[in-house]
Amino acid sequence: MSLGGVPAIAVSGLAKSYRREGVPVPALAPTDLVVEEGRFVTLFGPSGCGKSTLLRLVAGLEVPDAGEVRLFGRSPAETARAKALSWAPQSPALLPWLTIRQNLALPQRLNRRADRHPDPARQPRPVEEVLEEVGLAAFADARPAQLSGGMRQRAALARAFVVGAPLMFMDEPFSALDELTRNALCWRLLEVWEKHRKTVLFVTHSAFEAVLLSDRVLVMSPGPGRVHADIAIDLPRPRRWEMTETAEFAALVAQVKHALWAGLGEGERP
Amino acid sequence: MIAQPARRLLAPAITFLLLGLAWQWVAGRHGAILPSLLDVAGDLAARPAFYAANVWTTASVALAGLVLGGLAAVLLAICFVQFRFLRDAIFPVALLLNVTPIVAIAPALIVVFGFNATPHVIVAAIAAFFPMLINAMAGLQAIDAEALEVFRALAASRLDIFLRLRLPSSLPHLFAGGRLAIVAAVVGAIVSEFTGTADGIGAAIVLATAWLNLVQMWAAIFCSAALSLALIGLVDLAERLVVRR
Repeated sequence: MSLGGVPAIAVSGLAKSYRREGVPVPALAPTDLVVEEGRFVTLFGPSGCGKSTLLRLVAGLEVPDAGEVRLFGRSPAETARAKALSWAPQSPALLPWLTIRQNLALPQRLNRRADRHPDPARQPRPVEEVLEEVGLAAFADARPAQLSGGMRQRAALARAFVVGAPLMFMDEPFSALDELTRNALCWRLLEVWEKHRKTVLFVTHSAFEAVLLSDRVLVMSPGPGRVHADIAIDLPRPRRWEMTETAEFAALVAQVKHALWAGLGEGERP
Repeated sequence: MIAQPARRLLAPAITFLLLGLAWQWVAGRHGAILPSLLDVAGDLAARPAFYAANVWTTASVALAGLVLGGLAAVLLAICFVQFRFLRDAIFPVALLLNVTPIVAIAPALIVVFGFNATPHVIVAAIAAFFPMLINAMAGLQAIDAEALEVFRALAASRLDIFLRLRLPSSLPHLFAGGRLAIVAAVVGAIVSEFTGTADGIGAAIVLATAWLNLVQMWAAIFCSAALSLALIGLVDLAERLVVRR
């Protein structure tokens, strides 16, 4: 449902600096960005390139120094109040005293005011259905400590899906996992996303992941953080495993990597 | 090799046995300094009602102090975490209260409240207050920053963040504080009973000193240790009932 052509994410002149020992250090140079509804867009770059800062600003978790964020025409704060965005942090951040089922149900228990006047763009999903979808139904009554790292991260993604928000923000959700687990999780995310097609802004420092998941990869570079390349990934959907072994896929991964290197200083490139 | 559980019991048992033998060796040579453990045990067995009554008096003072001081500390810690200004304004007072020796306060409180349980409960409460305050503050601030962001991204209310995140996160700290606080409350109660009362373990010790009754003095000291242990056990039990893992 497109609201009269209003983009899902519209960012203009967004800038942020942090204070380090009293000295302001620019984290994000003035940035403009438009994301259409239903797109999976990845922010890709080395550490310190401002990708997490940009994501956090868009999600309303930080206040910008300058510029503006509009999510379907609303501010991030208004969007959060309507429960129309969901956030998946770097660590699973599950509550250890709750079972997996109770953790997934958490978004339903918070901010009940938004549920009394539900946002039309939001489609909350039953916990049981999402548990099934991410393959955790058998572990619904377990506590987070009883699960593996990969399962915990899956539960964290599931918690974000339960919100049913039209906008999802994911800050390197796989970064703490080993490569096999993260690949498996990546495919799981892809499968679930292709079913529901929410607008996703995703942060990663894996070129493979960026190409596999995204419609668009925004390559960022540091000092100060900025988007310096916007690469369209025109691979057909649904994406299949075989695609990752094609020359076309390899070329896109190479293109993304080269764009990354182009943004780095002398001596930081391979 | 000895099995693990047996070793866990046997090792301290050997230590206590050796300590007991050393004690008896000293007591056998210097009876004016240390009474025989057998005499102490004999006195405990001969006058159970006397010791039970005194333990009960001190226990109720300590528990009342824990509830009063602990509750005040937790409520204050909640305010401190929510309102920075209150913390800056009131925390120095709590600090001052903590560095003031309890022995110095007890007589002053008896002047104010008279010869009844009130001043003793207040001293126990003051003693329990600070360890509880420090632990409650640490606990209420020890929340997973990323979980807090999940809450914020859903525009969770302050009350929701408190009830569903801060409070449950702080429970292990609160019980750790409770263990320290109950021991402090027992110390506070006994020290307070040194002055201006005829009841309680503290009074039993002071009276024994006056009569040079070493047996009663040590029996009362052992009672106080047993009381502290039992109360710590009570806090442990409460934790096991409340905190699910």
